[in-house]
Amino acid sequence: MSIISTLINGLSMGAVYALIALGYTMVYGIAKMLNFAHGDVIMVGSYVLFVFTMKSIKNPFLAILLAILFCVILGVLVECIAYRPLRGAPSLAVLITAIGVSFLLQSVAQLIFTVTPKQVTMFQFNSIEFNGLTIKTESIITLVVGMIVMIALTVFVNKSKTGRAMLAVSEDRGAAQLMGINVNRTIVITFAIGSALAAVASVFMLFIAPVTDPTLGAMPGIKAFVAAVLGGIGSIPGAMIGGVILGIVEQFALKYEFLASYSDAIVFAILILVLLVKPSGILGKKRHEKV
Amino acid sequence: MKSKKNFDWKTLLLGNKSYLLVAFITIVTGVLVGVGVITKRTPIITPDLLTQIAYTMIMVVSLNLVVGFLGELSLGHAGFMYIGAYVAGLTLYYTHSLIPFGLLRFLIAMLLGGLAAMLFGFIVGLPALRLRGDYLAIVTLAFGEIVRGVLKNITVGDMIKNPAVGFNIKDLTTSYSKYLFLIAFILVIVTIFCVQNIAKSKHGRAITAIKDNEIAARSMGVNITYYKLIVFAIAAFFAGVAGAIFANYTTVAPAIFDYNYSIEFLVMVVLGGMGSVFGSLISSIIIVFLNVQLRSLLTGNLAGLKNLVYALILIIMMIINASPKFVTLREKMNWSYVKSKLQSKKEKS
Amino acid sequence: MKKTLVRILTLCMCLVLASTALVACGKKNDTYVIGATGPLTGSAASYGLSVQKGANLAIKEINAAGGLNGVNFSFEMIDDEASGDKVTDAYNTLMSKGMVAAIGSVTSGSCLTFAAQSKEDNLFFITPSASTDDAIANSNGYRICFGDPDQGMYAAKALTTEFNKIGVIYNTDDAYSTGLLKGFEDEMAAQNKDNYVKKSFSDTTKTNFSTQVSDLKAAGCDVIFLPIYYQEASLIIAEAASQNYSVAFYGCDGMDGIVKHVADNDALSEQIKGLKYLAPIDVESSDAKIKSFVDAYKAEYNGEIPDQFAADAYDAIYVIYEAMKAAEVDDVNIDPSDLCDKITAVLQGEFKYVGVTGTMTWDEKGAAVKQPVTIVID
Repeated sequence: MSIISTLINGLSMGAVYALIALGYTMVYGIAKMLNFAHGDVIMVGSYVLFVFTMKSIKNPFLAILLAILFCVILGVLVECIAYRPLRGAPSLAVLITAIGVSFLLQSVAQLIFTVTPKQVTMFQFNSIEFNGLTIKTESIITLVVGMIVMIALTVFVNKSKTGRAMLAVSEDRGAAQLMGINVNRTIVITFAIGSALAAVASVFMLFIAPVTDPTLGAMPGIKAFVAAVLGGIGSIPGAMIGGVILGIVEQFALKYEFLASYSDAIVFAILILVLLVKPSGILGKKRHEKV
Repeated sequence: MKSKKNFDWKTLLLGNKSYLLVAFITIVTGVLVGVGVITKRTPIITPDLLTQIAYTMIMVVSLNLVVGFLGELSLGHAGFMYIGAYVAGLTLYYTHSLIPFGLLRFLIAMLLGGLAAMLFGFIVGLPALRLRGDYLAIVTLAFGEIVRGVLKNITVGDMIKNPAVGFNIKDLTTSYSKYLFLIAFILVIVTIFCVQNIAKSKHGRAITAIKDNEIAARSMGVNITYYKLIVFAIAAFFAGVAGAIFANYTTVAPAIFDYNYSIEFLVMVVLGGMGSVFGSLISSIIIVFLNVQLRSLLTGNLAGLKNLVYALILIIMMIINASPKFVTLREKMNWSYVKSKLQSKKEKS
Repeated sequence: MKKTLVRILTLCMCLVLASTALVACGKKNDTYVIGATGPLTGSAASYGLSVQKGANLAIKEINAAGGLNGVNFSFEMIDDEASGDKVTDAYNTLMSKGMVAAIGSVTSGSCLTFAAQSKEDNLFFITPSASTDDAIANSNGYRICFGDPDQGMYAAKALTTEFNKIGVIYNTDDAYSTGLLKGFEDEMAAQNKDNYVKKSFSDTTKTNFSTQVSDLKAAGCDVIFLPIYYQEASLIIAEAASQNYSVAFYGCDGMDGIVKHVADNDALSEQIKGLKYLAPIDVESSDAKIKSFVDAYKAEYNGEIPDQFAADAYDAIYVIYEAMKAAEVDDVNIDPSDLCDKITAVLQGEFKYVGVTGTMTWDEKGAAVKQPVTIVID
């Protein structure tokens, strides 16, 4: 029985990682950059939720909408101000800029809200008792919403015109431009979607732990990065699989005490093993280099 | 005519601004500490700050070998440093009663620390043969985190009773701790010597060829496996040496060597310029100095400002340095460009 | 090119040295400077900021009362990001600012460096909150808080008499937590008991405790011992409630501040009722000294309720002040080493300090001897 509850817990944790990893993987696939500041967008989202559920308005649904809106605007602004001037620059320069943006968001949050953790309670849930098994409603909601978002995203990318433009840009930016696709606009849309997903993830993060502080996004950010690479960075289903694997492995490592204190090491060791067998991640495409 | 075999030490040592810089710092600060102008209590410069600058220089120059010369992104350099610091710390602790000479003890500990890190550098280099770019970056990051995740669980006799706190062996280094920064700067010179010699040799050209185009390099008969492993192992060795200095300098604890620390070194490499040893040295000095000064200037809730300043410097530096628009702008602002324009105007008229 | 470089370098060096020499010569103390390092940024920053507030309040009160023989005190604190390596420079900077005594570092790992750096200078420090024994191994190091092993031992003694099966959840990345666990396990071994189940988490898994709590529930634990800080503890308590697991909770001084932490969360405020913990101070106590401290703190910091870090820091400053008064120190330019000898002589003698965190004396290792208060949240 306890194995099942660990499994459900791992799945819902994995759904959160997957949502964040989707943002990573889409931005990587299309803009070819590691957006290290992605985790901190979650933190910003959680502070928006804090302001609009605890301080003013006090309507959680409206707060979620505002958080998504705010994160989208933030993501687009960061893209236009910090990343766009560096289009065509060496990838390392973009990486360092992203790290700079991450520091920037954290320190601005510290200056505005101080480091004291803030409680953010949005909804009250009751658990479901089932055959001696306690299932938390939050986990179910996280799982269901996570699934819906991922399916919607897959459909959007594969069927809609904008989505196909994204695929084209990720495949070959130059060729896409020649075919009349507005590359800058496509990248902005990608950032907007990624940031919106981060805002949704911040809601689920607050389901798991109803507190926020300026470093909230750092840990899930790096976990999601691992998940994205594990699944094959650039691949949308890969991010989902990577996130779920990560969540389950992590929770099972924590379950057994002789493994628990090595849980971080285990997660990273699995990542290395997978990459050794499949160098581009589980669902990553193998790119043939042109000579 | 000079024969080629006649090794020109003079040009090698004096014709190079990196050596000049470090030698200059070493001699001047050595004298000043010797006569007592710089002490632990002087503001702005202390021997401890110099030590910190020195081990940072070693870290950045050795990371530059991987990132700048080989062109592989590494996010786990602090992991090698941790291994070096750990092994050196253990060695110093357990040889303390066996070996009477402090300096000898330090050298042995440093070599063991460096070699242990080198071994792991070799192991991390193995996946580098199959992986490229960001995938390799995450493997190095994972490696650093695994080192931390494992070592945080290991207690060692009387020395590490609570592994999360770490250990501090400053007590055992009293015989040379006053001049630790001098030893450290001499090790910086050794590092520069090795790195520049590798870069300038035929091996260096092979490594640069791998960076520019791996497939072309392979088809020209460059042994890629060999060079990649060698570069990773050498960089790890020097990170281990830096770790050994670190262990003599301050507390060694798992929380210190996280991926953020590796990223700090990476930032210095990029700010100093990829593949530029001199740039690495300058950026190490500036960033270490800036960090220490900002930490002591901004306290309380203002401490958040420190990261804000740091972040803004990073973003602005990157945009000015690397943005294609700014690069062309800088070329236009260049004096020689303006001069050539003027000249061409004159010729026209 | 080479020559210009050398010239520029020489010029820079000369400028820096000249300024160094000027600052060094021009500096004469007109206050007793008390130093400290602690996390002011990063995830542990709230502890450091509390220490800073508590210490500043004490300094303000002392100065308002005329200081020591008319000489005022001042307090300098530098951010160490809870990372031991940052303390080395921070310590030197403090020394250059004329520090004569210190309240050490806030966190255990940092205080280890502080102890190593201050040993040579023989500078007195009394740390408010670094609870590992190694931090006060040298003769110049003292502390206000309880030691990790002691608290773990108290907890084990209290829990084994009351409960049948003890669950423990600890943080493998936190020195405070692993230290407490070790004290707890040593005492359990001494009692020949093994009716406890250990579960752990790390800094990267500190938000989701579903697995750990459901396993302790399945194991049938009737109490959960929490040798951790309140942020994670509040999540564990909420988790147990959402799993309909009615269990007792027992913590150490890291729980202090939990009431303030969950004040905005009505459900959680209800759930933490019944939590028992060992603490140095009960801020709701009617004791006159505590009351006046809490009121002064609230007045100074916009109605904020002090936590144990603030209270310990407040006491640490007062201990230095009282000990200096008892030692009849009257030279503002006193050498830190002489001051240290004087203060330690006082503390090792008949000196007894009545503070907000209890009445305390110091043993020969420099650890405070005092009685913890058991607080039950109601």
